[in-house]
Amino acid sequence: MEISLAEETFIDDNFLRQLMSVGEVDLLVAIPSHNNANTIGQTVKTIEESFQQNFVRERVVIVNADGGSRDGTSDVVLNTPTPRNPNSRGLSSLRTLHRITTRYANQPSQGAAFRSILAAADLLRAKACAVISPESSNFNATWLKNLLQPAYREGFDFVAPLYSRHKNDGLLARNLIYPMGRAAFGKRIRELNSTELGFSGRLSSHCLNLDVWHEETVRTSPEAWMAITAISSGLRCCQSFVGPKVHSVTSSGTDIVKAVRQTVGSLFWCLESQQSFWMERAGSEAVPTFGPEHELTSEPVRVNRKRIFELFLGGAAELSDILKSILAADTHAELQQIATEDERNFRYKDELWVRTLCEFAASYHRAAIDRGHLIQALVPLYRGRIYSFLQEHYDSSPEDIEASSENLCLEFERQRPYLIERWKAK
Amino acid sequence: MKEIILRGLEQAYENMVHMIAEFLPRIVVMFIILSLGWLIALLFKYMVRAIIRLTKLDRLSEESGASQVLRKAALPPISELLSRAFFWVTWLAFALVGISVLDIPVLHEQISRLFQLLPELFVAILILFVGVLVANFLSRAALLGAVNAGYRSPRLWSGTVRFVIWILTVTMALEQIGLAKGTVIAAFSIFFGAAMLALAISFGIGGRDLARQFLERHFGDKHQQEGEKEQEPSPL
Repeated sequence: MEISLAEETFIDDNFLRQLMSVGEVDLLVAIPSHNNANTIGQTVKTIEESFQQNFVRERVVIVNADGGSRDGTSDVVLNTPTPRNPNSRGLSSLRTLHRITTRYANQPSQGAAFRSILAAADLLRAKACAVISPESSNFNATWLKNLLQPAYREGFDFVAPLYSRHKNDGLLARNLIYPMGRAAFGKRIRELNSTELGFSGRLSSHCLNLDVWHEETVRTSPEAWMAITAISSGLRCCQSFVGPKVHSVTSSGTDIVKAVRQTVGSLFWCLESQQSFWMERAGSEAVPTFGPEHELTSEPVRVNRKRIFELFLGGAAELSDILKSILAADTHAELQQIATEDERNFRYKDELWVRTLCEFAASYHRAAIDRGHLIQALVPLYRGRIYSFLQEHYDSSPEDIEASSENLCLEFERQRPYLIERWKAK
Repeated sequence: MKEIILRGLEQAYENMVHMIAEFLPRIVVMFIILSLGWLIALLFKYMVRAIIRLTKLDRLSEESGASQVLRKAALPPISELLSRAFFWVTWLAFALVGISVLDIPVLHEQISRLFQLLPELFVAILILFVGVLVANFLSRAALLGAVNAGYRSPRLWSGTVRFVIWILTVTMALEQIGLAKGTVIAAFSIFFGAAMLALAISFGIGGRDLARQFLERHFGDKHQQEGEKEQEPSPL
């Protein structure tokens, strides 16, 4: 077995011993964790159920990369009983279901977890891998099948999940990450920054060998970087529908500031580090999709729109000086003008929103102010945009919302030359 | 009598000529030193500018917010500011050497005192500069944090952070140059203590409800809070 130990320094001896005892595998499923003892047992059971149902003959392993849990998360992974499969006809008893755990650090870091996972995939020569979040409370056996199948059987290198969502859920992805990522990198992948994903052994080896693991963005949020690396390296990408996305109580899904810092920071950093790729190309193309491309639900939920609008107004007024150093004079003036409008008539239109983001990205590139501060200055504007979205789509059907999202994507693609112009400006 | 006056005048004239003859070369040397100093200072200025350009300090200054501070204070960019500072400091040093060549005892004493103070002055200026940068960075971080968390009066938070750091910086700078050392430290201690006491009293009396809400938010029953919290749509 050819073993690449180029990155051996971050793999501890115990982890290496466990990996060597496993040998080669076909499929690797990884669970990055930090204090997830309450939910991770169910995640492990579901993964093994999926193996028993969908990958009966494959050599498989579950890798838990833990960031210093104090609640015995790793013990739960190792000690959760394997579920019995009444339909297995004895085939599953012929193989060993491996579970291995590693503590990559005493502090959680998604990037460090991913690095350990990719190293494991590389050493075990896994053909297809999937990362599953232990916080996804409605994860089921079909999710895993849908994430692994395209990489294992269809030869895709990156498999992005597609979720069924409430129409008010995932608004950062819908209003920023997806349309901007699509316009810049040219692939219509809706979930660039998802906690669940599938990938091939080839992509894991490729990412592992890149000298980016010390970068703050990759250390905190490597998912979008991995997707964009697959796109820019010309590897095959696809999307696969998994099911409804439900945020667990313990997840940080609703912490808007943290989410914007991680995802937008990651996207802007990728624009910076992959500029030679995206500046050369134009337009966007669809990627193969398994299952429905989108599914929206619209049951009523309680959203405090007034509070969101107040936070936007407060931000636009208090951060005016900071915004002035980021935005072009006319964009800033227009923003201040819409902030004077009555909340019922307030609209943050697509054209202005896209222009705002192009100027933020360009200011990030030339480091007009500290980059962390710059991303944080976007938060109130994002709130203004989602307030506008919620107002506009209060009664909209899922089809109307999809049409509106498509228009936003086209607006991003239309303003691509403006992004490049601002990007190149001194 | 006439002869005595004439001899006196002659003596005075001779003394004056002697003094001028003795002083003139020193003045010439002083001017030479000043001119040479000016040329060397100019050379330093261009060298510093080139080094800053090579080390991309301008970009670092932009990123850290230093350039913004300088712009706000109507000062030139950092490369220009540092190169000019080097020019004037170098030329001032040469000027002091030049003046000391004149060998005037009173001036000599003052110059040597000034020379002794120069390193401390440099360090004090550096402390002020770093203090302004840190104050600006942290006050902006406080402003952004307060705005995004929806706190009331975010500028008050930001201004307080900036003010405290400025006071600390100015105190350190004054202490460095030894100006009214005891008074400055005492004034700072009194001011800082008073400010903290005022904050403690005002928070304790005026902000009881706020404190209760804060403690409940951070240490209270999570499930109860989930029910109470008005929802913001999930971004991811």
